[in-house]
Amino acid sequence: MIALLKSINERRELLQLLVVRNLKIRYKNTSLGFFWSLLSPIFLIVIYSVFLGILKVPIPLPVLVTGIIVWQFLAMCLGDSLNSILGNANLVTKTAFPRIILPLSMVKANLINFMLSFVVLFVYLLATPSVEFGPLYMLPFVVLTQFALCLGVALLVSCSNVYFRDTEHILSMVMLAWFFMSPVIYPLELALSKAPEFLHKFLFCNPMFGIITSYRICLLSDANPGAAWIAISYVIAWSVLFIGIAVFQKLEPGFGDEL
Amino acid sequence: MGNENTIEVKGMGKKFRLRAGGTRTLKSSVLDALGIRSGKKEDFWALKDVNFSVGKGETLGIIGANGAGKSTLLSLLAGTKTATEGSIKTTGIISSLLELGAGFHPDLTGRENVFLCGALMGIPKAKMTAQYDAIVEFSGIGSFIDQPVKHYSSGMYVRLGFAVAVELDPDILLIDEVLAVGDSDFQRKCIAKMEEFREKGKTMLIISHDLKTIQSVSDQILLLDEGKVVGIGDPEELVERYESITRKKNAKSLQREWGTGEAKIAGVEFFDKDGNVTDKFMWGDPLDVRIDYESSKKLDNPVFGFAISDEEGHLIYGNNTQLEEFQVGSIDGKGSLKLRLNEIAMATGTYLFSFSIHSEDHKTNYHRVDNLFPIAVESTKEFEGCCHMPCKWGNIKT
Repeated sequence: MIALLKSINERRELLQLLVVRNLKIRYKNTSLGFFWSLLSPIFLIVIYSVFLGILKVPIPLPVLVTGIIVWQFLAMCLGDSLNSILGNANLVTKTAFPRIILPLSMVKANLINFMLSFVVLFVYLLATPSVEFGPLYMLPFVVLTQFALCLGVALLVSCSNVYFRDTEHILSMVMLAWFFMSPVIYPLELALSKAPEFLHKFLFCNPMFGIITSYRICLLSDANPGAAWIAISYVIAWSVLFIGIAVFQKLEPGFGDEL
Repeated sequence: MGNENTIEVKGMGKKFRLRAGGTRTLKSSVLDALGIRSGKKEDFWALKDVNFSVGKGETLGIIGANGAGKSTLLSLLAGTKTATEGSIKTTGIISSLLELGAGFHPDLTGRENVFLCGALMGIPKAKMTAQYDAIVEFSGIGSFIDQPVKHYSSGMYVRLGFAVAVELDPDILLIDEVLAVGDSDFQRKCIAKMEEFREKGKTMLIISHDLKTIQSVSDQILLLDEGKVVGIGDPEELVERYESITRKKNAKSLQREWGTGEAKIAGVEFFDKDGNVTDKFMWGDPLDVRIDYESSKKLDNPVFGFAISDEEGHLIYGNNTQLEEFQVGSIDGKGSLKLRLNEIAMATGTYLFSFSIHSEDHKTNYHRVDNLFPIAVESTKEFEGCCHMPCKWGNIKT
């Protein structure tokens, strides 16, 4: 583990360049460029507020938008992770460097994008009179945990896709199920009231359950369902990262042969 | 520092798993795990038991036929593939010309790609900035450097790739057949740059099918054949051995052997004018052949024949004991015959010998081996065609 951190630190310039490359390529050939990172969450909020008003869906807009923007960070990472090794086959087969830098740079680039969306979200919440902020000082820890989860899953998906091309199709199904299992488009209370009590702690075995709930506690002063439950989500999120690293390192030597 | 080895390879082997079905899918893995074979799996050793070392400042040429494992060896040294067994030790920054401009992203500009390549090789940004101007100058790309590389011509792409690889001042340079690309002007530049590298005391590994060039630039040559090291050492000697192996391989596809087997050609050896066994001959020299035969029963007056064909199997010349009115007599058990060609009259090239034993009336063919024995001829005599016929020119006075 220490050796891994050291090798990443040695190549931090490469990591940084790849993060920049990821961001640059995303908006290359677009006339608005980087503004899209700000524009898309703005449009997202506007569109949802219009249709929520028409459809009379029983969820407050700030709760919904928070859920969706947080979920998008994970969804983008997973979508990009399919190609973070395969799409860089030319680099992997021609040059030697710690391969973990590829998914890591991708997740970091998505983190930067998420941060920009987050700024938009924050401004929107500031401007919404009904919103009362909770313990904002907890946010960095929540973001860090989500980053760990995203990286962990991205590591698993990216190397699995090198060996099994079925990963892409499996992933899209898993993502859909995961989306509805997480309180993205419904508030926490709804999930807790519909599910029988003994199931509640299992709901928090889905790390996104605790993470989205934490964001809502910090940003919207949502009720805390219990620190112990949220802790389950956090432990699992960090475990996924360590499992991801272990699996990735085990499979990494074979990438050159497989690509 | 002087005798220090920059590259040390010990007992190294690389195994590939070949799958009949192509890419592994979830289905094939599940089936494999359950013991139901969805496709035949085969292990294939691309390299086996490879040992060699390269000293600092040495240039090692790697030669061998296609599929001998040359490129795999370079990928292993570059660290993009991992050896299955044994160890590889390298010291210093490695720059590989496995594929020029391999790391380039089409949407990024030349400048961005140069820095990305440097970072991929692990070169600090400060050093990159210092080298940047030299790279742009060597590549000759000029103002295009700030354009996305997808707008580059293929020549510009290759030039920039080469410039990055050599100007970053690596300790070890791996070159895989890149001299074949680019125009002659660029090739001259490459060779000059390689010369400069040698003078700076850098280590180079070169793969090339251009045997003349590789022989002249290498201090040592490593000859690979089907994943095994045939030899390492003196360039001239190993290039010669490689040519000899190639001759034997080419000849193999034309080989045929048939007959009743009552008598058999057990062995054939060629001797030069000094009586040494060889398969290389000079134009005008004599060629001696010793043919060992073996018969399972007594045969009266068998006829021994031979033929010479070119590399494509076209017959050039053939003759036998009957035509030459030589009586072999009766044969039983083991014995030997000798054959002498007084003067080798063929042009430079590879020639294949065939031998046969058949009955006196030509009705029974005991044994015939076609194109089994290749020889190389080097000719200093100039003429058209594949075979020289003694001739004389003169004026006629009227």
